[in-house]
Amino acid sequence: MAFSAVLHPAFLLVVLPLKASLSEVLGEPFQLIPEILTVSIQSKLQQVNLQWTVPNLTHQELKMGFQIEISRMNASNIIWVEDYSTTVKRNQVLHWNWKSEIPLECVTHFIRIRAMVDDANYPPQNSWSNWSSWKEVSVQVSVAPNTLLIFPKSKLLEEGSNVTICLLYGQYLYNVSCMLQKEPIHGEQLDSHVSLIKLNNVVFHSHSGTNIYCQAMNATKTPFGTVLFVSKVLEEPKNFSCETQDFKTLKCSWEPGVDTALTWSQQDSQNYTLYESFSGRSELSDHRNSHNWKITEESQETYNFTLTTENNLRKRSVNIIFNLTHRVHLKAPHDVTLETVDAKKANMTWKMHSRGDNYILLCQVELQHETEVIHECNVSVHMSASYLFSDLEPDTEYKARVRCADANHFWKWSDWAQKAFSTPEAAPSQALDVWRQVRSENGSHVVTLFWKPLLKSQANGKIVSYNIVVENQDRPSEAEHYSVQAPALGTQLSLDMCSYKIHITANNSMGVSPESVMALSNDSGHASYRVNKVEAISHLKPRLTLMSLLTELQKNPGIVNPQSPAMKRYTCGQKANGVDMLRSHTLQQCYPSVLAAKEEVHEKRIKGTKDGFHISWEPLSGDALGYVVDWCAHSRDQHCDLKWKNLGPNTTSTNITSDAFKPGVRYNFRIFEKSVQQNAQLLEKQTGYTQELAPLENPKVIINNFTSNSFILSWPGYDSDFQSAFIEGYRVYLKSKEMQCHPKGKRTSLSDNSVLCEYEIKDPEQKSFTVENLQPESLYEFLVTPYTSAGQGPNETFTKVTTPDENSHMLLKIILPMTLCVLLIVIACYWKSQWVKEKCYPDIPNPYKSSILSLIKSKKNPHLIMNVKDCIPDVLEVINKVEGPKTQCIVSGKPHNEDVSIKPPSSVPTEDGSSGPVPFMFFENFTYDQSAFDSGSHGLNPGPLKDTPGQLGLLTPPDKLLNVLEKDYMKSLAESPTEETSLIYVSQLASPMCGDKDSLVTNSPKPVHCSGYKRQMAVPGRLPSLALSESNSLTSMILLGQGEQ
Amino acid sequence: MSQIKNQLAQLNGSAGPLFISYYTAQGEPFPNNVDKLCGPNMTDFPPFHPNGTEKTKLVELYRIVAYLSASLGNVTRDQRILNPNALSLHSKLNATVDIMRGLLSNVLCRLCNKYHVGHVDVTYGPDTSSKDVFQKKKLGCQLLGTYKQVISVVAQAF
Repeated sequence: MAFSAVLHPAFLLVVLPLKASLSEVLGEPFQLIPEILTVSIQSKLQQVNLQWTVPNLTHQELKMGFQIEISRMNASNIIWVEDYSTTVKRNQVLHWNWKSEIPLECVTHFIRIRAMVDDANYPPQNSWSNWSSWKEVSVQVSVAPNTLLIFPKSKLLEEGSNVTICLLYGQYLYNVSCMLQKEPIHGEQLDSHVSLIKLNNVVFHSHSGTNIYCQAMNATKTPFGTVLFVSKVLEEPKNFSCETQDFKTLKCSWEPGVDTALTWSQQDSQNYTLYESFSGRSELSDHRNSHNWKITEESQETYNFTLTTENNLRKRSVNIIFNLTHRVHLKAPHDVTLETVDAKKANMTWKMHSRGDNYILLCQVELQHETEVIHECNVSVHMSASYLFSDLEPDTEYKARVRCADANHFWKWSDWAQKAFSTPEAAPSQALDVWRQVRSENGSHVVTLFWKPLLKSQANGKIVSYNIVVENQDRPSEAEHYSVQAPALGTQLSLDMCSYKIHITANNSMGVSPESVMALSNDSGHASYRVNKVEAISHLKPRLTLMSLLTELQKNPGIVNPQSPAMKRYTCGQKANGVDMLRSHTLQQCYPSVLAAKEEVHEKRIKGTKDGFHISWEPLSGDALGYVVDWCAHSRDQHCDLKWKNLGPNTTSTNITSDAFKPGVRYNFRIFEKSVQQNAQLLEKQTGYTQELAPLENPKVIINNFTSNSFILSWPGYDSDFQSAFIEGYRVYLKSKEMQCHPKGKRTSLSDNSVLCEYEIKDPEQKSFTVENLQPESLYEFLVTPYTSAGQGPNETFTKVTTPDENSHMLLKIILPMTLCVLLIVIACYWKSQWVKEKCYPDIPNPYKSSILSLIKSKKNPHLIMNVKDCIPDVLEVINKVEGPKTQCIVSGKPHNEDVSIKPPSSVPTEDGSSGPVPFMFFENFTYDQSAFDSGSHGLNPGPLKDTPGQLGLLTPPDKLLNVLEKDYMKSLAESPTEETSLIYVSQLASPMCGDKDSLVTNSPKPVHCSGYKRQMAVPGRLPSLALSESNSLTSMILLGQGEQ
Repeated sequence: MSQIKNQLAQLNGSAGPLFISYYTAQGEPFPNNVDKLCGPNMTDFPPFHPNGTEKTKLVELYRIVAYLSASLGNVTRDQRILNPNALSLHSKLNATVDIMRGLLSNVLCRLCNKYHVGHVDVTYGPDTSSKDVFQKKKLGCQLLGTYKQVISVVAQAF
């Protein structure tokens, strides 16, 4: 038994290796089953890490194949099978990773592995080993009720990639909807608590991530979400190159592409690493797009660079290999100098940073003027070089620049090195373009010279002044010199009527320009005439006066008619008797030389376009030196701004263009022919508009010969320069209610039942129009408007006019003299007013002329009128009278106003009187009461003074007044008390001795010897005789005059 | 006290723009779902009773400001990382936190001087450092939404 116990193990020890050896020999499957050690999870990476070993491995190394299966949710749902081959060492722990597309938190995975020997040194194993047992892979996540978990959290991924979002539902949560930024996203339900949302080709939204949020319909909590950090795809660096300027440093540069950095520390900007394979050096760049690589090995000529860029998701690299000498980017030239040789040449020198004189450099030289390259040249040089610029413009600023490169292995041009310089001045190279304007004034020529500024290329410097030499053709030795300082472009000279040559030059600091010559003949001022014939009158005697010259011409009518307005005669002479005859006019003593017959040049109308005018002309002579066209740029202004254009000898037309041309402005062009002698003769005058416009205003119409049947409308003409177009005529509009149009007129019925007659005057020179066949005392309206090719004038308000009555002029003839006569009479009356007053209404009425007198006379009372001269003053005292004359002419039937008091007396007058004015006191004197007088009573007035109706009313009629007076008087008599009858008012009228009874005495403002009124006193009736006798002595005061007592 | 009122008015005036700036910087869906994502439904926010006594109100104000100061500090820190380019938001957050610090000091001074309250127990918001980015965005938005609502009530109560 003990033996067997010992033998059995020994047997096994022998048999097992034998068995193994036999298996190998016989080819039996030898199973090496892998053993899973650990299965770990990296949630953020969604990665499963598997570790296993191969137990029972007898060999030191054995190449084996492994097959790994992964199932999801349950072991039977295999989702991944992967073969993995490796050389396995004894006791080695093997690793394998798998990335899940679904976040591992959401679903449980299972993993198992099996192996197979796959080594050539051993017989092939035809079958896999058995599977290892399943290992569950899961992340324990608890989801609270009513909550939602979203995985992955803060996932980093690259734009364009795919991602699966997993939702874990808590209890009671359903109907979850999700949004990616603004867009809704939909998923698939994996089980009751898990759903998956697959996002394909995700896009970059922001460096701070892309928000995803989900919310359940019945959620009581706020939405849940996650952020995907989508990175842009890392780009490969572009245009990677390296170069050197000094063979000490290689400057490598590249275009980095987009920055893939993300916030929240998810991803920094990609980095760049340079690796040089020959030296084995690697350097991390501090910049995104360049790196300076130090050349440490001077002997190294070839470089092999690899530029690698990397972020958290990707790595990219580019490679270049080059020879250092082929990547030389020279530094810009230095010590650049420029030296002007003369006004047209300059020499440029420069130096280069080079490794030695053996190196040939290629340099590019440029000459710039006002930013424009005017010269470019390539030259081969060594370390230093020079270049000569020629054909330069004097007094011009230039900029010269140079750059170089390696001539043998051209890589890049160096930077430019530049220098500015200016050429010195030179004398002006071109003659001035000159022109003149001549006008005759007081027998002399006022010559205005104009010239155009020289171009910069012609001036060759700053023009300082202009020299003018005026040379008398007849006295060349007496030239006058003028100098005009720049920048003036013209001057004015006053010359006599002789022929001159004018030389004009421009000066700068270096010299004088070629001269411009203009000849001025004695007819130059007559621009309206063209010289047709010029004859030298050689037979005329020298030193003739103008009158004698005219006489001589009259004797030779065959030559020229001196009376013709188209003829002019010019004389020129030298100094005679020490007097400069050139400065005088008319009747000069001079030497006649030229007689010119002239023809008036008519103005021709031309039609311009918006671009300008096309002007053509007929040449006068075949040997013209050239032609000049001049015009005023501002024809409407006083300032003409003369423009001109010089043209060649064979030219017969030209286009005049100018930005200053405006529509509706008339431009007058004159064409001159320049003769060989530099004389300019007027050829033609042309006028036109670039665009004709309708007239802007109507003429101011004056009405003449205005009668009841007709009138004449007349208006002034327009100034041609202020016409907006050529006026072709006028239209006269006449409007009236009832009118017959002239047969030449055009009749139009208007809406207001009036008739409009339109008359067209086709002659623009006709400035009047007679309107005939009008009705007297009728209203007419008219409007006169000019018309041009562009239309007629503005529609202004019609002027209204009413024809007069036919007899009105007769009435005027009568009324006017009559009015004058009346006026003269009035003036005469006023002149004799005092006389009339005295005659018609004197201050003291003449009682004999009173109307009352006529009444009284009818009663034939011989004692009616008292003779004042016979009166003896009695006791009646008048203490005051009305101020101012209150007299009126006494008219029959009218009351005597002074007998009627306006107011009753307010106080009884005192005897001593008063010096001051007192109210008017009126004593009723019944003397004038005819009834009282007739009653035989001698002025008895038994009662006090009382108002009577007659005293209160001025307007009381005279008959009534008389009645009232009578009545009142009678009443007074009846009512007077008995005792008062003893008082008797004695009036002078009571005296039978009163003389002239034909005269009625009234109040008089003038002192008289015998007052009309005497003071009335109450005296006892028993002493009538006494009263009568003493009446003279009782007089205390006589009325002396107005205001006096 | 007037200084406290002024500071409250200042905070009340700037709370709205700060809120807008915040949810705008977070990107969609925040601007279009402000009521859902940023609703003022924080459960742990210190209460405030506007009808209470001044002392009570000051104590509650102190708690609120202390809570907000701490929370806004976290929000500011998170936004610097998450939205480094949102400079306007950063400046608004910093300004708000600065005013709150001053307000906190003034309130405590007032409590101490007038009511002899030298210590107030305060609470702080939950720690968000472990939260994911979306949660941080959302919590910050909720905090600012709540702050905007509460600060107007508080400013009117004083």
